[in-house]
Amino acid sequence: MQLNHAQRELTVKVVYYGPGLSGKTTNLQMIHARTGSEGRGKLLTVETHDDRTLFFDLLPVFFHTKGGYTVKVKLFTVPGQVIHNATRRVVLQNADAVAFIADSRRSAGQENNQYWANLQDNMRENGLNAAQVPIVIQFNKRDLPDSKTDAELQETRARGKEPVVGAVAIRGEGVLETLYAVLQLAYRKMDEQAGLSRNIGLTEAEFLKLIFARMDLSGTQVGDWLANGEAPR
Amino acid sequence: MSEGGDSGRPGPSGDHTPRLEQRPLSVLERRLTLADMLDTSTFAELVKSFAELYKLGVKVFDEKGNRLADIKSGNGDFCGYVFSFPEGKRCCTQTVARVKDGPLATTQNARAPAAPQGTKVHGMIAVPCFTGLRYLVLPILWEGDVLGRVVFGPFVPEDLGELPSSLTDLTPGIDLAQAQSYLAKIRRAPESTIVKVLLHFAQLLETLVAAGQKTFLTSQVHIEATLENNRELETQNKRLELMNVQLKDMDRLKSSFLATVSHELRTPLTSIIGYSEMLSEGLVGTLNQEQTDYVRTIMEKGDTLLKLISSILDVTQIEAGKVRLTFEPVNVGDLVSTAVSSIKPQAQKKGLTLDLRLPGRAVEVRADREKLRQVMVNLLSNAVKFTPKGGWVQVLVTEVKFQPELDGEGWQFVVQDSGVGVPTDQLDKIFQSFYQVDNSSTREFGGAGLGLAIVKSYVEGHGGKVRVQSELGQGSRFEVMLPVSPPPPRSVIAPPLSEPPPPPPDRF
Repeated sequence: MQLNHAQRELTVKVVYYGPGLSGKTTNLQMIHARTGSEGRGKLLTVETHDDRTLFFDLLPVFFHTKGGYTVKVKLFTVPGQVIHNATRRVVLQNADAVAFIADSRRSAGQENNQYWANLQDNMRENGLNAAQVPIVIQFNKRDLPDSKTDAELQETRARGKEPVVGAVAIRGEGVLETLYAVLQLAYRKMDEQAGLSRNIGLTEAEFLKLIFARMDLSGTQVGDWLANGEAPR
Repeated sequence: MSEGGDSGRPGPSGDHTPRLEQRPLSVLERRLTLADMLDTSTFAELVKSFAELYKLGVKVFDEKGNRLADIKSGNGDFCGYVFSFPEGKRCCTQTVARVKDGPLATTQNARAPAAPQGTKVHGMIAVPCFTGLRYLVLPILWEGDVLGRVVFGPFVPEDLGELPSSLTDLTPGIDLAQAQSYLAKIRRAPESTIVKVLLHFAQLLETLVAAGQKTFLTSQVHIEATLENNRELETQNKRLELMNVQLKDMDRLKSSFLATVSHELRTPLTSIIGYSEMLSEGLVGTLNQEQTDYVRTIMEKGDTLLKLISSILDVTQIEAGKVRLTFEPVNVGDLVSTAVSSIKPQAQKKGLTLDLRLPGRAVEVRADREKLRQVMVNLLSNAVKFTPKGGWVQVLVTEVKFQPELDGEGWQFVVQDSGVGVPTDQLDKIFQSFYQVDNSSTREFGGAGLGLAIVKSYVEGHGGKVRVQSELGQGSRFEVMLPVSPPPPRSVIAPPLSEPPPPPPDRF
């Protein structure tokens, strides 16, 4: 988080992390497609010839608060391929929250675990306290054969404190729900650190409402969550 | 997190996360400027061609008011003329300041531009000049930030007839005909047309900024990732260096332990052998045949053990760098004969043919007699040990002649056998301490695997070389090349696994 009182600007960094081909870029593409152009920047993406993310993707989403602050949420993805670990670490620096995009298939379990461990390693290397950076787990590709059952997802949920969201990112399912969950946790952490509601008059409800105000929420649970102030689990 | 702009006071922060090291902020967390994302020289060229095409003045400023491009078109004479009047100068300066640094809002003399119905103007404002000319100003927006502004003009609005009183009142004595002729050089167009041209320019600029941002960010992140890789490698190298130091320490400890233990073993063993000798020689009474046989076995085995312990001690001393060579004149023929006769009993026991060939002329060299004898004995006993019953061992000493490998006068000592041989892939390992080709617990041949390591160290201590050729199942041939006169003795001789050579001294 970068809080600049002189320019009245708050910058939030959310990083989409996970194994190669788990759907990180697809998540950003879906958010981009569902957000009105006045509330976001261009989706910057650098791909190799085989459509794999080479460096990172970046989608900025921004809004103005009632208190006169500009809030910029920068959504990044890291390159998933093993060889790009240094780039992953550079992108992960100073992240306020992480969305860990896992592949739901049972065959991907080992890779998910490897990247989970890699995330913890890189956080430590970057001086981030893994216990203090909120993480949301998205189980993507729920539609593929061999995916884990809902009961198995429930088991994963019970094993840790991170919220778990099921998704089929390619169809947009679960994408905004994941974003909602990760932004809610990011806000809570930043509020704890910098007292956002006390110091710049930005409440959690306003933060989430303004981000999603320019997004097409049809067919998602986010509208209900915004109305009820619910937290996904 | 980081906070800024709060007069340097620390902000309300609860961040106590430990930082391993302070790294500079990544480019991904920096606010980019127009200059970061545009190639300023080619951008200026583009603006120039654009201004020429539309016959319009175009200026581009970044958010701090720095000029990225400034192309004038047609207004030089007119504005220069107006500027020559004191009041004209004052008002002109004011207008330029309003356009360049004034708020991007419809305040302070600015108004919304005349645009066709339904056209989004993206924050554009129109700023009239007191001369009747007009400017259009458009903010450069990027990700919700204002990165700078584009200024079009001045142009002559199509509906401007006579020069307005706001000009003529301030410039008494102005030559209206002259002013009109200067005015004719400036582009005259409807404001809505210039609005469209400016919106088109903005689109072009957005494309350039998008491409520029991508190039800038990716190249910078690439550099950061490379530095990150480098940092990681350095950390790893440091760790490896540390491990290397620890390993060397452990190796030294091992050698020192072996030296101590061997020494402690040798002392009681000497007594065992000594007392057995006295017994077998009947110094304390006559022994019967069986007793004599037993005592001889004790002596023989004790002797074998003593030799083993001695070679361990030799190797540990070599490894500890404690071996010193003393060179003296040596007659090679005599020395080889002594060595051969010392292993003759073992050879006879196995029924081996032992063939010694000495050159016609005596070979007189300088060497450490005792160490050289040990080299010969070690090679000979290896040959006898690894040659099956009924085989042969041949010993050859050459005359003194030029040895290309040594680049000088030297001689060779060669031991060849019809033994088991050494597998090709292990030929370069057999000179390492404790190495044995057959390392299994059920191996056929005894020994500690030290003989050849000692040979190599001693030969190299003499400035010589050892070479081996072998064919599995056919036999082996060990060639020792030695100089006639060894180089002045180094204080110590190198351990068999020598350290890498020191790097050459700095060239510059």
